[in-house]
Amino acid sequence: MTENARPQEASPALQQAAQLVELGMRACEAYGRSDLGERLAATRRTLDDPGIYVVVVGDFKQGKSSLVNALLGTNVCPVDDDVATGLPTYVRYGQQPGAELLYDADPPEREPIELERLREHVVERTEQDAGGRRPSGVVVKLPRTMLASGLVVVDTPGIGGLSSTYAAASLAAVSMADAVLFVTDAAQELTQVEVDYLRRVQEMCDTTICVVTKTDFYPAWRKIVELNQRHLEQLPGTDMLPVSSTLRARAVRAEDTDLNAESGFPDLVRFVTGRVAGGAVARLAASAAADVVAVCRQIESQFEAERSVLADPAASAKIMEELTAVKRRVEELRGSAAKWSQTLNDGIGDLNSDVDHDLRGRIRRLTEEADDLIDEFDPADSWHEVEGWLEAAVAEEIVENYSLLRARADELSERVWRHFQEASGQVLDQLAVYNPADLVPRAEVEHKMDLEKMSVRKQAMTALKGSYMGILMFTMLGSMAGLTLGPIAVGIGLAMGLGSLRTEKKRQLTQRRSQAKNAVRRYCDEVHFRVGKDLRDTLRRIQRQLRDHYSARAEELNRSTAQSLQAASDAVNRTKAERDKRLADIDAELARLRELRRRAEAVAG
Amino acid sequence: MNLVERTRATLAKALDVYRGTRHEPRLAAVQDRFDEPLRVAIAGRVKAGKSTLLNALVGERLAPTDAGECTRIVTWYRDGHTYEVLARPRDGEPRQLRFHRDGGALEVDLAGYAPEDVDELVITWPSQALRTATLIDTPGIGSLTETSARRAWELLTADEETPADAVLYLMRHLHPQDVEFLQAFRDTEVSRPNPINAIGVLSRADEIGVGRLDSMASARKIANRLSTDPKVRRVVQTVVPVAGLLAETAATLTETEMQQLRRISERSAREVEGLLLSADRFVEKMPELGLTSMERQALLERFGLFGIRLAAALLRRGVATTATELARELAGRSGVEELRSVLETLFFERRDILKSRSALLALDALTRAEPRAGSEAVAAAVEEIIASAHPFRELRVLSSLRAGWVSGKPAVLEELEHIIGGAGGGVHHRLRLPEDADTATVTSAAARALAGWQQRAENPLTGHELAAAARVAVRSCEGILAELSGEPDGSRTRAAEMERHR
Repeated sequence: MTENARPQEASPALQQAAQLVELGMRACEAYGRSDLGERLAATRRTLDDPGIYVVVVGDFKQGKSSLVNALLGTNVCPVDDDVATGLPTYVRYGQQPGAELLYDADPPEREPIELERLREHVVERTEQDAGGRRPSGVVVKLPRTMLASGLVVVDTPGIGGLSSTYAAASLAAVSMADAVLFVTDAAQELTQVEVDYLRRVQEMCDTTICVVTKTDFYPAWRKIVELNQRHLEQLPGTDMLPVSSTLRARAVRAEDTDLNAESGFPDLVRFVTGRVAGGAVARLAASAAADVVAVCRQIESQFEAERSVLADPAASAKIMEELTAVKRRVEELRGSAAKWSQTLNDGIGDLNSDVDHDLRGRIRRLTEEADDLIDEFDPADSWHEVEGWLEAAVAEEIVENYSLLRARADELSERVWRHFQEASGQVLDQLAVYNPADLVPRAEVEHKMDLEKMSVRKQAMTALKGSYMGILMFTMLGSMAGLTLGPIAVGIGLAMGLGSLRTEKKRQLTQRRSQAKNAVRRYCDEVHFRVGKDLRDTLRRIQRQLRDHYSARAEELNRSTAQSLQAASDAVNRTKAERDKRLADIDAELARLRELRRRAEAVAG
Repeated sequence: MNLVERTRATLAKALDVYRGTRHEPRLAAVQDRFDEPLRVAIAGRVKAGKSTLLNALVGERLAPTDAGECTRIVTWYRDGHTYEVLARPRDGEPRQLRFHRDGGALEVDLAGYAPEDVDELVITWPSQALRTATLIDTPGIGSLTETSARRAWELLTADEETPADAVLYLMRHLHPQDVEFLQAFRDTEVSRPNPINAIGVLSRADEIGVGRLDSMASARKIANRLSTDPKVRRVVQTVVPVAGLLAETAATLTETEMQQLRRISERSAREVEGLLLSADRFVEKMPELGLTSMERQALLERFGLFGIRLAAALLRRGVATTATELARELAGRSGVEELRSVLETLFFERRDILKSRSALLALDALTRAEPRAGSEAVAAAVEEIIASAHPFRELRVLSSLRAGWVSGKPAVLEELEHIIGGAGGGVHHRLRLPEDADTATVTSAAARALAGWQQRAENPLTGHELAAAARVAVRSCEGILAELSGEPDGSRTRAAEMERHR
């Protein structure tokens, strides 16, 4: 999103990285490598909108929205004594305050709304608005320093508590979050449900903190924190942070630093901006710098090939021969017959059938469990519960299924990367041979591979991020929430006569059970259909992104070798005087490039 | 024969059948229970404020309360002539336990038992409030200590006769787990989804608005919404907001506390607001108040931040000037009075039905599980009462209504719910008349209702369910008219008797 790009207050690390990337872009332009320039331009855009997600989760009525408000010194997230937040709210940076509704589509559709009218859209609605489409989320933009580095605070719906479809959706959001604030209030110690949920959150995101709210109101909050600490002993690594949103809000209004300190928020702010935004920003800056390093290396290799020929014209034939061989190999990387490409295509095919098989199995198990439940209880009594249970269970299974998809897609993207790297790494090494003095130590090469890998993996993550973070996953499960089993026409006769009471009841019960089972089947079929389609779409998107990514890399390499070859063959035909002049030029260029690379390497760590 | 007499007769018949068997003591217990006060269990999720509410209802600090999870053992509180604590261990004979009480809650010495080895504690305590109802305090569900949670569950959801006749279900805000729990508590034989024996309490109501002075109003709004929520209606009769801590403290307010509160109220409104901004501030700031931090902590424990804010405001505005007045004001605002009157109409006035129901369920279970010569006839009698006794038929209509199975115009359904006693068994409740309406008004209203329901029952266009319900309503109207013309009616006299008790 470029319209809210470049906040003045962007973090120094990001600004430094942005400078490097811009230098790299200028170099690409100067050396006629628009293809590499485009790659850096894309990197540059992610620096503008890094999207560091801090997701706020917790049982309902624990003060999640109040916490978000107090953290950001605002009151945009509607807070209500009764109704809970019903839509995920993404609070991010914007030079002007504003809000827009998100609707499910690829890319998501946005509809600007007035900030003042946010409440109507966000708070839990008793019935879905007649006729209207249900938005899948709300984006709120605020000119806040804390958000300027690309931080996005996500307030998740509290409806239905921790064992609902929404909670499962929040869990999906957690899986891509950079940090999670788990919110529980000081009214009581953590419950079993909360601890279970927290455990799952922690499995998915290792930067998780447990925020104990409402410390102003509960005199015994210290005791609660202590009790919670004991419960959390089973979950090492989760810190606890007691805060009071009420005091913080008041402190912000009155600009009262003492009160602010009392509210406990300074620690939370430090956690969010330091450990979260700081860490994520550092990672992002490092990966951008790694891109610059990779680009520099390619351009350098081109100059180095030319330089080798210029320095030792006698060896030119051999060098040209080797360069031609390299070019052939690079060409192999480009085609669909390339190993990485085959790995990708086969992998996606396997993934598709495995994930679908997994989903099918999960849904079948659920259907069987639902049947057992229906046989055990009378649907007339328990239909609401079966409905609630099934919807939540379905959501959980979908999340599990997505987790599988994500893990497997990660694995695949790594395999593809390895195959690509095996092939292209040799090429890069061969290109580097012409300047033995410049051969980097082995360890450093591996280090760079890690960086390269990081930027490659980042690409794969972006593909997944689109399908997980907020938009798709919330929508997916949100629309599941809209999908209901529907009422069963129970046909309860008010049988009052003595004789008919039992037999009539029995007959009705059988009828109700079969109706209930049919409703469950219909629901599960629909779920399978929708989720299955979403999975296929997601995989297709992953495949496309990975393919485009590596094709572009192969194309860059191809151009690098072609230009090296060209420069080398030009060099052969030069006079001695021309050669000496050109050598001096090249050395100057190489020095400049190495200087840039050195700086980038320093940032890339 | 009315319901009570029929039930008693059936119980006697069953005793004859099972005399000399190992089931005789059990039946005798059922019979005893039939004449005991109503047993009301106080249930809810962990930390819902169950013990606090129990204390408020008894008017004494009996049950221990704490910030952490506290009640681990199912504890019965019943009226008696002496003070006594009895433990029923999981294995072994019941035995008396030592206990002491200095000022605060009862401290029971478990005599070496681990809480999980004790099935239940029975506390006998001479108390006016316990004379109308035996109260059962339960460990919370959703507790991290699994055995205690399971215990509450077992107590309330036992398959056969439930140890409790009715349940007060405390919720802090309706949570999915709450609904699940309430569902399990209902039986399915006497009437289907059964809201007759459960009342919802939106407990810790002062916390809903996080202690703002208008918190109770906000809580009331939420309680009203919950009461009309179909999901909630199916499982509880109504939802009442109660600030339990405030109610408990109001019932036990001391003169010393009054003096301390007065000191706070003498400060300016702004100063007090700053002081009461947070619990920590109240303990630490404003040394000129002349209260030690221990005293302040004690006040917080007793009143909560909301209670102190409210009490200070009431004293400053002169709404209350003495400890008695303050106690009355606080009790009124805590919602406990409203809960008492709801308990009266919905539980105590229906004592006969609830008691009969518990007894019949026990008989039903016994005859099914242990048939023997003559038990067939008992089973038939039980089924006959369940199917034909008018109060049960009313309950069946009520629960069908609550479950949304009877369709009709909302106004008609509302009238139906009242006429069959859904909002209370008294005549004025049924006819929706003021309590002081004169006999002529009541009679003509009853006659009009009778005509209306007769018409609906006979109208061929009336839906099947509504017609069946209308026939029950007709019988209810006839009952009212009979009662007005001087025929004795069980429920009415019972209600009057209850009045006398209080």
